[in-house]
Amino acid sequence: MANSEEIIPSYWYNIIPDLPKPLPPPRDPPDAEFSRIDLLRKIMPSEVLRQQFTVERFVPIPKEVREAYINIGRPTPLVRARRLEEFLNTPAKIYFKYEGATPTGSHKINTALPQAYFSMKEGVDHLVTETGAGQWGTAVALSARMYGLNSTIFMVKVSYEQKPQRRTIMQLYGARVFASPTSHTEYGKKVLNENPNHPGSLGIAMSEAIEYALSNGYKYLVGSVLDVVVLHQSVIGLEAMKQLQELDEEPDVLVGCVGGGSNFGGFTFPFIGSKKGSKYIAVGSYEIPKFSKGAYNYDFPDSAGLLPLVKMITLGRDYVPPPIYSGGLRYHGAAPSLSMLIKEGIVDWREYNEKEIFEAAQIFLQTQGIVPAPESSHAIRAVIEEAREAKIKNEKKVIVFNLSGHGLLDLPNYESMMKRIGQD
Amino acid sequence: MLVSYATLGYPNKEDYLRLVKGLVEAGSDILEIGLLPKYAKYDGPVIRRSYKQVSTWLTDFWSLLEETRRAVDVPLVILTYLEDWVTSLPDTLARMKDVGINGVLFPDLLIDFIDEYEKYVNEIKSHGLNAVIFTSPSVPDPLIHKVSKISDMFLYYGVRPTTGVPLPVSVDSLITRVRTLVNNKLVVGFGLSDIEDMKKALRAGADGVAIGTVYIEEIERNGVESAISLARKFRGILDGS
Ligand SMILES: Cc1ncc(COP(=O)(O)O)c(C=O)c1O
Repeated sequence: MANSEEIIPSYWYNIIPDLPKPLPPPRDPPDAEFSRIDLLRKIMPSEVLRQQFTVERFVPIPKEVREAYINIGRPTPLVRARRLEEFLNTPAKIYFKYEGATPTGSHKINTALPQAYFSMKEGVDHLVTETGAGQWGTAVALSARMYGLNSTIFMVKVSYEQKPQRRTIMQLYGARVFASPTSHTEYGKKVLNENPNHPGSLGIAMSEAIEYALSNGYKYLVGSVLDVVVLHQSVIGLEAMKQLQELDEEPDVLVGCVGGGSNFGGFTFPFIGSKKGSKYIAVGSYEIPKFSKGAYNYDFPDSAGLLPLVKMITLGRDYVPPPIYSGGLRYHGAAPSLSMLIKEGIVDWREYNEKEIFEAAQIFLQTQGIVPAPESSHAIRAVIEEAREAKIKNEKKVIVFNLSGHGLLDLPNYESMMKRIGQD
Repeated sequence: MLVSYATLGYPNKEDYLRLVKGLVEAGSDILEIGLLPKYAKYDGPVIRRSYKQVSTWLTDFWSLLEETRRAVDVPLVILTYLEDWVTSLPDTLARMKDVGINGVLFPDLLIDFIDEYEKYVNEIKSHGLNAVIFTSPSVPDPLIHKVSKISDMFLYYGVRPTTGVPLPVSVDSLITRVRTLVNNKLVVGFGLSDIEDMKKALRAGADGVAIGTVYIEEIERNGVESAISLARKFRGILDGS
């Protein structure tokens, strides 16, 4: 057995040189009054930007970041879900990579740490970001604190109200947390003017965070969608590959949920790149139907249109998602690399509704004991369906999924789901 | 190889003609001439400014291309978006050939027309024009290798996602990697304004550099003569002095 520290990779993996087609580059809109691409230089730490555009297949993980990964408990466990297998009475083997095992409870810390580290190296003292469910904001708040930096988090208003504990954790880590839309930015004021009761959206919070970083000279950390984030998240898949090798397992099906695409890409891309596995399933929310209803177009990642246009599967930057139970999936687009892999038919997709994911979550937590984040429960639903299909066909396939986070702070969401579904 | 870019008609007709002659006298091996596009999808703010200025007066670009051809004797490569010509391509290519243009470079070919790029490359060649192919770091390795062999004159490799925005990239490691994939002359461009970047590119195996934005910035600041002296300086770097 390799010792656990040997499982943590020393390089991140970038899929771009291995994509089937050229990845369409970011663009400025036709009559741009200023260059969004140029703006990136002002808002992002420059090493993060360099990694965004330097498409080497393998990017070294700085020693200090690797140590920080160890400090937060990497490698995360790869667990065989035996009780779930028994419950489903399936010949398939089911494994999950447990990203909920980090202190902040999700995979988000994998990119927050390097981004905060590079910021600190560049002499930045204040980080700004947005957060939906609160997982990303929590990861930034802790990472900033670890490197002695301040942080300000724009939290989507519905989540701010639904998840007071997330806000408290961020504050305990030392962050300032605002409910977005706020009156701290011009964009926020504009949104509030049009609708004082606006529930907020990730796109709006993102726009506010960028504007706030720009006007104060702070740096903005990006939580998903951009290539550099998927790059950092590749630690998940690279570790899982080694862990499976140690177990002498060849994966067949790989599953993850999709908000912006970072945990799914981070988990599956190393497998896709090395042609391991035969089926990759990206799971979104039925209520935010970007895979079934979205267009593959150039669109802005943020609602205000401050970031460059990227080509992605998108519901449109003005799309206001319903305030559903899994905040982290409430995003209008999906990472450009993932969007292309879906368009090329290399990655499959599914969309499940609240009832379907609630049942899946319940089966999982009653067999394995872990409360999954509602986002991750989407992946679990697909796993259960694959395992049931394996049973019908009597196939001994190996299904591996990314449990992107735990749901211990999402209990109010589960409570409200129980009420709606009529199980209380 | 020094490939110098000029926006057709920028900053005005007279200065533009002085510029192209001067760039050639200063030692440019090839001139790339940019035609005002409908949407400068992959151009940075500086080149966009030059297009905007040209759009205020230039109506008959064909006759200015003819004058360009008469003014200089190095190969001329037209840089234009395929999107603008896709419905009238055979006629446009035939006319370019008549005017004495040597090659065409479509920066959007491998991005927006990826499924049909070979058809368009053949179409360019069938009109007796050179097809110069534009690639960038987001083009998958096997495709760079494949198109490098069919690209005429050289393979163009843009190290940044847009021109004229000094995004931080590792020029040397990008080129070291791509060099091993390219069976052709390799010309590197997109944001190579910095002398250090240029030297790094050459040391890492590039056969030449393509320069554009810095000329335009220099024209904006100090005029055409000053841009021509920059070309002389770049020639010196290429010649190792
Ligand atoms: C636990 C968890 N999983 C998944 C996601 C979805 O994001 P992404 O697709 O960018 O990984 C989030 C986002 O907030 C999350 O908190």
